[in-house]
Amino acid sequence: MRQSASLRLTLMIAAAILVVSVIGLSVQYVLVKRDLEARQLALVNADLAGFEALYDQRRVIAVRQAIEYRLPAGEDGALLLALEDRGGTTLAGNARPWPDGLEKPTEGKSIAATRFTYEDRTYLGVARSLPGGFPLLVARATGGVEKMLARLRVIIAAVVGGASILALALGHVFSRWVMRRIERMNQLADRVASGDLSARLTGARTTDEFGLLESHFHTMLDRIEALNRATHHLSDNIAHELRSPLTRIESGLTRLEDQGSNVDELRARIRNTVRIFDSLLEIASAEAASGSGTGLRPLDLAQIACEVYELYEPVAEDKGISFACDAPLGAAILGDRNLVAQLISNLVDNALKFTPTGENVRLEVIQDKDRHTLKIADTGPGLPSEASRDIFERFARFRGDKQVAGHGLGLALVKAIAVRHGARLRIVPGQKGFCIECFWPNVEDTG
Amino acid sequence: MTKPNPVLIVEDDAEMAKEMAEILKGANCATDLCHTFEAGVEAASSGRYPVVILDRMLPDGDGADAVARLRAKGSNAMVLVVSALGRASNRIEGLEKGADDYLAKPFDPDELRARVRALLRRADSIAAENDFMVFGSLQIRLKARNVHVGQTHVPLSPREFDLLVFFARNHGELVTRMQLLENVWNLHFDPQTNVVDVHVSRLRGKLDRACARPVLHTARGEGYIFDPMRPIASESE
Repeated sequence: MRQSASLRLTLMIAAAILVVSVIGLSVQYVLVKRDLEARQLALVNADLAGFEALYDQRRVIAVRQAIEYRLPAGEDGALLLALEDRGGTTLAGNARPWPDGLEKPTEGKSIAATRFTYEDRTYLGVARSLPGGFPLLVARATGGVEKMLARLRVIIAAVVGGASILALALGHVFSRWVMRRIERMNQLADRVASGDLSARLTGARTTDEFGLLESHFHTMLDRIEALNRATHHLSDNIAHELRSPLTRIESGLTRLEDQGSNVDELRARIRNTVRIFDSLLEIASAEAASGSGTGLRPLDLAQIACEVYELYEPVAEDKGISFACDAPLGAAILGDRNLVAQLISNLVDNALKFTPTGENVRLEVIQDKDRHTLKIADTGPGLPSEASRDIFERFARFRGDKQVAGHGLGLALVKAIAVRHGARLRIVPGQKGFCIECFWPNVEDTG
Repeated sequence: MTKPNPVLIVEDDAEMAKEMAEILKGANCATDLCHTFEAGVEAASSGRYPVVILDRMLPDGDGADAVARLRAKGSNAMVLVVSALGRASNRIEGLEKGADDYLAKPFDPDELRARVRALLRRADSIAAENDFMVFGSLQIRLKARNVHVGQTHVPLSPREFDLLVFFARNHGELVTRMQLLENVWNLHFDPQTNVVDVHVSRLRGKLDRACARPVLHTARGEGYIFDPMRPIASESE
């Protein structure tokens, strides 16, 4: 299949070159042929006019002499002349008898240029009856023109033949070049498919479209490789993070056999382990779905924010935190209600968890023409500045400390959900405490 | 003991099915078992079972897809999907396909019992939904959305009222936190903080004060039981 693509390309290029050259040469051939024939006709007419003029001045004798003079032996019949008298007797010329192919003119008449055969040769001739009833014939053999045209045809055929060979060779070279460039990419793809994600094309890259394609290929492979590495990293983390609680559960069960310990605590640990699984799966599925709009419905971001506020308000009150919500309804977004609620809930949960008693947490939805901003700010201890870069990574844990419960997946899930919805996250710097903004595309106009 | 309720379990894992049957025996249920999707749909559409428990990853189909088939055959059995596909999006998918409830594996035995009982109760009372619910001196008016203890009005926030109604519909039964989140808040994820506890304890504070006795009881580990009649001895004065 690949070979035939190359062959097809070669033949197409050759055919294109050939068609152009054949058309050009044909046009030239036709023009040359027409020109030669016109010249021959002019020559014959000029001869006839010359004899006629001579007759007008010097009568039949002079014409006979002129004819004999014009017919030397060397001309070899290329010129055919005849002068007859009223009775049909030939007075001069080499056309005896008068050729059958050309009508003999009656007195005062002319015969226009006619092509005829005489003694196996083709002639172009004219005839006129001179005053007094003397038919005069002037004809020239067309053999010279034919020979010239035949030679021209041979030349054209040679040129076309040469051009086809050249075109085939050129097409072959060109298609080989294109195919080699594609073949490079194919080999790379094969190597990647067989498992070598780090395979790359070596050598200089051209600046043309092929070079661009190679660059795109490389960018794509880099991205895949990075994602793959991240996945490996993640599975290590999962193994680690899940192993420890499971070990604790196991030891707890051992104790249970001994003396009957706290079953609820073990149950809570198992539930927490399952929750880690769920969060990881939820992150993975949100990441996998990002970019596609499927499953997203029109929602009011502010309404969900208010619901989450209402859910957490008693928690804040119990902890002695002043928790405020400012979210005027009508912030239209496209989203998955449960995921959006989980995003807001995780951010609020974090803020309440890390903010000490007596401080403030504020939840806001600010509507704008092309985007809505969800803002959660607290006046807690904030975040060490070097941490803000990795904060959205899975299993990242920074502010506060390990005393605060959590599995380090909350913000990773927040980020995955944001990406899923095409929303952008920003940690607002230079604030007392921690402040995070999430920008959602406004979809009010699209309905 | 009343006549046991027939419950159909459609589950291809024999061990799991046996365990579920064992658990449900404690909820006064007589269980029958099917191992495949087709057999399950066939048995469930017989109309004998008020509650059907469906696994999702059956060898010949997804249990969640059975709901539409059952409804098409005119069955109005309550469907509980029990599946290892436990993420929020899986749950929502199952509920959107028409399941009446969704429980993720691994589950706590109490949770399974609680959910099956809630469904049995719903199957019973679906026609007999009253505007007026009375538990001793506690009266709930659904349309007017108000609560009285004797002649005294108990002021509740809208959410507290919804909570109380859900408890009341499942009175005497264990109600888990996840059930509350799903049914009262329509949220299908497990928040890191036990936010539900805070809401319940507020409602409990108001009710206990108004009734002058415990109305909402904490069940071991998993959730709550709404049972205003429990301390009968102290009420009869």
